[in-house]
Amino acid sequence: MTFSVIAAFTRVLDMPTNALSLLWLFPLALAGVVVYKALTIRKLNAVVFLREVFALLAFLIGLLIIITVILFVITWIAT
Amino acid sequence: MGRSGRKQNNIPLMIIVAIASWLIPGGGYFILKEHTRAAIILVTILLTFAVGLYIGTIGVINPVDAKPWYVAQLMNSPFVAILGGITSSGQWTVYGRPAEIGQIYTSISGILNLLCILKAIQSASVPYTARAGGQSL
Repeated sequence: MTFSVIAAFTRVLDMPTNALSLLWLFPLALAGVVVYKALTIRKLNAVVFLREVFALLAFLIGLLIIITVILFVITWIAT
Repeated sequence: MGRSGRKQNNIPLMIIVAIASWLIPGGGYFILKEHTRAAIILVTILLTFAVGLYIGTIGVINPVDAKPWYVAQLMNSPFVAILGGITSSGQWTVYGRPAEIGQIYTSISGILNLLCILKAIQSASVPYTARAGGQSL
């Protein structure tokens, strides 16, 4: 059991270089949002915390999608 | 000294909180009796760091060829230096997208922990009743 856990950290994850690999951004965004909200909410409460995290994450992902679409359109027009 | 009697700009407490925060993510908030906040920080930072290691192996911690990333990774905890000592032999070199994503995850978790350290120091510098509504979290 211990060795299988350690072995999981010594073998590189199979990750192709394609657009799908960019989805690894989302867990990172979630981590950033969770830590940021954990530091900024004065009185931590499960409901408030989850609502705030969800709202900021949705805003962040929405913003990233809009930027992606704009950049895609610019690239499409330019080429 | 009682919580309500904590004085402003308590330098020894600020130093202890800073060291505890660096040793174990969320440790500073644990000392400040903010256990929920400490638990959220600990789980999030450790999980992000572990995911980075899982993606790119411990080879993403590279004190020889990736010093700027290594500095950010060290912000997670001084224990990262132990992994750095193991990988500095060059035996765990990793390339490509997994290396990039793993480095980004481990470094971002370190930078997030640096933010937590600074915020915990700031929290330690004010009296307990002046923050968090004066209640245990």
